[in-house]
Formats: sequence, structure tokens, C-alpha cells
Amino acid sequence: MFESNIFFQDFSGILTVVPYTLGLALLILILGILIGGILTLIDQYKIPFLFQVAAVCLSFLRGTPLLVQLYLAYYGMPKLILFFAGLLNFKFDPNQFDPVITVIVSYSICFSAFQSEIIRGAFMSVSYGQIEAAHSLGFSSVQTLRRIVIPQAIIEALPNFLNSYLTIIKSLSLAFMVSVVDILAKAKLESALNFRYLESFAAAAAVYWLLCAMLTVVFRRYEQNIRKKA
Amino acid sequence: MLALKNIHKSFNDHEILKGIDLKINKGDVVTIIGPSGTGKTTLLRCVNYLEKPDEGEIAFSDFQLNYQSVKRKDILRLRRRTAMVFQQYNLFKNKTAIENVMEAQIVVQKKSKKAAYEKSLEELNRVGLADKLDAYPSQLSGGQQQRVSIARALAMEPEIILFDEPTSALDPELVGEVLNVIDQIARSGVTILLVTHEMSFAQNISTKIVFMDQGKIVEEGPPSQIFNHSREKRTKEFLSHFNSNYTKITTAK
Ligand SMILES: Nc1ncnc2c1ncn2[C@@H]1O[C@H](COP(=O)(O)OP(=O)(O)OP(=O)(O)O)[C@@H](O)[C@H]1O
Ligand SMILES: [Mg+2]
Repeated sequence: MFESNIFFQDFSGILTVVPYTLGLALLILILGILIGGILTLIDQYKIPFLFQVAAVCLSFLRGTPLLVQLYLAYYGMPKLILFFAGLLNFKFDPNQFDPVITVIVSYSICFSAFQSEIIRGAFMSVSYGQIEAAHSLGFSSVQTLRRIVIPQAIIEALPNFLNSYLTIIKSLSLAFMVSVVDILAKAKLESALNFRYLESFAAAAAVYWLLCAMLTVVFRRYEQNIRKKA
Repeated sequence: MLALKNIHKSFNDHEILKGIDLKINKGDVVTIIGPSGTGKTTLLRCVNYLEKPDEGEIAFSDFQLNYQSVKRKDILRLRRRTAMVFQQYNLFKNKTAIENVMEAQIVVQKKSKKAAYEKSLEELNRVGLADKLDAYPSQLSGGQQQRVSIARALAMEPEIILFDEPTSALDPELVGEVLNVIDQIARSGVTILLVTHEMSFAQNISTKIVFMDQGKIVEEGPPSQIFNHSREKRTKEFLSHFNSNYTKITTAK
């Protein structure tokens, strides 16, 4: 049967890795936004060569499962780094390579595709008329971007970024596959000791649910606040 | 004070402006009328350099510019002397009414916040919106938004204000309040170049009417001439589609 004391024991055990998971997801979100921003720029300005490369990458990222990308990175990245280390003549030991770096890199790149989409949408949401109005008043392009376009684009993008944050938190459950300990991984470790799988996975589900529900409430409140201005 | 010389503009090999010459004196209210698609908007946009003419010149009393060899500095100079009021108002959505009016004073004219605020207050007062300083555009009616955008243009103290059909996006009951504001600033001596389909309004406030058709100025002269004693058949034909019914509303709110 369902042992509630084991459930709560697992629950509090899992809670200890929550800050780590939140931090990891935040780092991935920020890196994803940076890479996504660069992708958007390449796409908007149709920078030759890079533009085609980015299009192929985006198509790959959208067309393959995250788990497959993760495995690819896990087995491929150390080899790739080893290769470049050889070229540049510095020492690199693949056995010392922390898999969390694999997770950070592959997740950031994977989610950058979504962030790029969000950023593009946010910029498109600023009506061209406002940009013309700024120009007609004597704003330079940079001033228009800084004072008019970017502030509005951020307000537009933030709720979507926050949604991505939740998605990343949940997707990190796959990171167990490459031995990074997040919420789900912690649950598996807990159950490995006593074989109470149901309790520990129930505890993991509870933690995810609580976390996402709480963050959603906070984000909503925040969104309503900034929406008043738009 | 301002002269346009031989302005040409094409879009995709299709010539829209076929050599426009126009003189505007200080304090003039010049209204361009003409059929849809004739190039009225394009002409106004050329004056403000939102559109780059293929050929032509613009001359102010102390500053002249040939459109074929424009430098960035010239564009800024031109834009500082001209202000545009758009059909769709184009207010900055993330800024309140007063911030909309202050913004360019701070960014372009490098005024202090305080000076910009005081100037903006004065101009918003002038357009009758002293009680809406902190409203965002989404909280204002179309007529109020257009009046904010007029205040935004006035605050830059341009030598000329360009109005492109400032009332044609408005619900009929809001047209009056905006026309009244334009009427009032015209009387205060601001130089205006206006495009409108409000014929009786044009007849009322203009010092000069310009009738444009197919990228050319067909006829220009004082309102009485154009509306009552036009010499051109095309002008008469165009005007016969309109009947005059603008009556000044004295209580704009
Ligand atoms: N950016 C553009 N690219 C291509 N064609 C354009 C562009 N802007 C305007 N045109 C064309 O130029 C012509 C003149 O347009 P314009 O807007 O100046 O006319 P208008 O006299 O202001 O008409 P309306 O009374 O309907 O506002 C139109 O045929 C229009 O389709
Ligand atoms: Mg037009």
C-alpha cells in the first residue's frame, strides 16, 4: 500500500535539490535567451552564410527529441572538446568532464530555438507606426530601439520567457539520463534505497506540481502588473 | 520659408510624384486635397524624410537640402524642423500622455526632465488634455490620442507641422474635437501642411489650397478660388463629390 510517511520523507529529500534545479533552469533560460537573441539577429538581418547555418540548426532542433539531443551531446561533446584541445594543445581529460555542462549546453541550445521565436514575436508586436513616429521626431535608429522598441518587446516577451522557465524545469527530469541530479533523479535515488517507487515518484510529482503552481501564480501577478502599461 | 522643388518619387518603377513644386510661407496653412492614391501621403512623408525622394530639393530660409546627396546630419536637421501627425496617431504605447510628449524633447533635444515636463504640460493644456497626463494611450479615445500626438509635435517647436488625414481614423463624433484643436493652433500662427478630406474644414482654415491629381499639382490658390472659381475642370469634378457641412464646434472637451 501507499506509505504516507515514506512519501513525506521522500518529499523532503527531494526538496533539497529544488534550489539546484531552479538555478540550473535559470542559467539555461538566460543562455537560451542570449543564443536565441543572436539567432533572431542573424535571421532578421539575413547575415549571409550564418543565416543558412542557423536555419539548418533550427530545423534540427525542432525536428529531434530533446532526449536524443541530450545523448548526442553527452557522447559527442567530450570527443569534440578533446579534438579541439588537441588542436590548441592543452590538456583535457574526458573522464573528468562534468555531465552537468553537457546538460547546460544542450538545453541552452535546444531552448534557444523557442526563445528566438519569442523574441521575434515580441519585436514584431511593436507597431511600425511607433518606429516611424520616433524617426519623424528625430530619433536615431539606436535611440528608437533603446527607448521605444526594446522596452515594449521585453514586456511582450517576459510572460513567454517565464513559461519557458517552467518548461525547462520539467524537461530537466531527463537530465537523470546523463547522471545529473535534479528533482526526478533525486526521487529515483530515494527509491533505490527502499524500493518504494510509487511513494517517491508521487513525491516528485507533488514537488513539480507545487513548484509550477506557485511560480505560475507569481508570474500571473507580475504579468498583470506590467500589462497595465501596454 | 519652405520651398519644395521638383520632388520625384517612384515605387517599383511606378512614378508616384512627378515633379512637385510648392512654396509655403511662415504662418501659412496649406491644405492638399485630391483623389485617393494621388501621392498626398507620399509627399508629406518625403518632407519628413520617412520616404526618400528620388530627386528634388527642399529649402528652408537658412538651410537647403538636395535629396540626391543627403547626409545623416541633414536628415536629423530636416526632421527637427518638421513634425508629423499621423493618421493612426502612432503614440508610444508604453508611455503615458505626458511621457509621449516629453520623450523626444529629452532624447532628441537633450532637455532636462523638468524642462521637458513643463513644456509638455503647456502643450497638453493647449490641446485640452491637462486632465489626462498620466493616461496610457490604451486608456484614451482616438480623438484624445490624436490630440496627444499633436501636442507631441507642437512640443518640438518645429517650423512646420505636417498633418496626414488626422481625423480619418476617428469615429465621426470625435472628429470635431481634433479639428478644433488644429483650427486653434493654425490661428496661433503655426505653419501647417495638411492633407484632409474634410473639405469645409479645409476651406475654413486654409490660406492656400493645393489640388493634386496623379502625382502632380493641378491647381493651387486661396480657398475662395479653388472652391468657388476653379479654373481647372479636374478640380471642379473632384470637388463636386463633396458637400460642405463642417460647422465649428466650440466646446471641445
Ligand atoms: N511603400 C510603398 N510601396 C509601394 N507603393 C506605395 C508605397 N507607398 C505608397 N505607394 C503607392 O503610391 C500611391 C500613392 O499613395 P499615397 O498614400 O501617397 O496616396 P494618397 O494621395 O495619400 O491617398 P489617400 O487619399 O488614399 O491617402 C498609391 O498607389 C500607393 O499604392
Ligand atoms: Mg494618404
